[in-house]
Amino acid sequence: MMIWKPNPLALVGLAMMSAPIIAHAKIYVSVEQAQKILLPNKALSKTPIIITDDLQEKMRMASSIRHPFQGDRIWRASDGSWLVIDEVVGKHEMITYAVAINPNGSVSGIEILEYVESYGYEVAEAQWRKQFIGKTANDPIKLNQDIQNIGGATLSCKHLTDGVKRVAVLYELALKNTSSPGAQTQTIKAK
Amino acid sequence: MIRCKPLLGTFVEISIRENEDGLEAVENAFNAIRKVHDLMGFHNPESELSLINHLAHKEAIEVHPWTAQVIKIAKEVYLASDGLFNCGIGHRLVAAGLLPRHITFTNHELGGIEDIQFLAPDLIKSARPVCLDLGGIAKGFAVDMAVRVLISEGIASGSVNAGGDLRVFGKIAIPIQIRDPEFPERLIEIGSLKDGAIATSSLYFAKRDQQISHIINPLTQNLSEVHAEILGSFSVLAKECVYADALTKVLALSNNEHHPCFARFSAQALRIAA
Repeated sequence: MMIWKPNPLALVGLAMMSAPIIAHAKIYVSVEQAQKILLPNKALSKTPIIITDDLQEKMRMASSIRHPFQGDRIWRASDGSWLVIDEVVGKHEMITYAVAINPNGSVSGIEILEYVESYGYEVAEAQWRKQFIGKTANDPIKLNQDIQNIGGATLSCKHLTDGVKRVAVLYELALKNTSSPGAQTQTIKAK
Repeated sequence: MIRCKPLLGTFVEISIRENEDGLEAVENAFNAIRKVHDLMGFHNPESELSLINHLAHKEAIEVHPWTAQVIKIAKEVYLASDGLFNCGIGHRLVAAGLLPRHITFTNHELGGIEDIQFLAPDLIKSARPVCLDLGGIAKGFAVDMAVRVLISEGIASGSVNAGGDLRVFGKIAIPIQIRDPEFPERLIEIGSLKDGAIATSSLYFAKRDQQISHIINPLTQNLSEVHAEILGSFSVLAKECVYADALTKVLALSNNEHHPCFARFSAQALRIAA
């Protein structure tokens, strides 16, 4: 049976209880967990890619994301699957996400690692962003663990969809033609 | 474990107490949501919804039991709300650029959810051409399906949150925060919920992103009134998220917490002024 207990203060006046929260930082899974979830039972080798200006520009055009792509969080499985971790930094949010790509180039899964929301100037500042990168939910950073069940108007994931587009372009132009699965480090020139 | 994936055009979060043990259950719950996304998405020209919009006025369409169930509930809420809730508003969202244009409607006599008839439990036909958009109900339904999967896989308690439409299940009461419509970065702790759902409609993100209102008044033909300009935040609590989701539109458009529709579905309405 549903049991709903309204906050007694809600009867007095809801606006009074609104907590001034600067950022909602949510950390879902670590890089290792995302790897296990998206490419279970596959041995992954880290395969960083140097992103040439030309490739960077092509990824920007395909996705309209201006924040540069970092090529150092790319893994390859021996069967030709890939895992790419990227971030989208918007006016209101910063999202770290993982995209898994099948050997045939189709996206096999997307997982959100971290979601940091802000309405201020902070998101644009690299220093501010840095404090969240690579954290897990167990880290002592001031993540409010009580803030879990946020209701409200639907939050669009369009920005993230643009991010996935640029990963698709990365695959098409750089990852697809990468040879020998055993290669640890490769420099790929974009076409 | 809390995991999050982009589905249904938003971020879907599944939270359970188990960690590694619950991984498969969570995966299956996400798959249920993806299935709703694939069946009922307006953006996908291959979805069952697109097939209905394309053909249902010409021929009978066999649909998945889940699609049939959502349409059945949509008709039920349509009747109980005297037409305030109607999924037959897709063309309004297409015209406003909020949804993609897959079909060119030459026929201006578009019908609504009232025109959909069931010939058999999974077989539907439409009396008139329709442009249904299930965006106002399918998210809630997807949340319910995910909860059903989690329970059937032996998960004792947890929650599923599809971009603000959420349901909690199990023995534990969970505190619920909702966004302050005036300052959406602020949260209001509105109470605690056990074994129930809450969904919310509001325009603060639309305003922030300078988009026209996506809350459509199906009862008006007057173009200046089609996109309802509502202020504040409109939430509905119900046992199942599908009803909570659909009924937020009734609350937002009627601006009446005591609309008989809520009692009819054992729901409770909650408005927050901006």
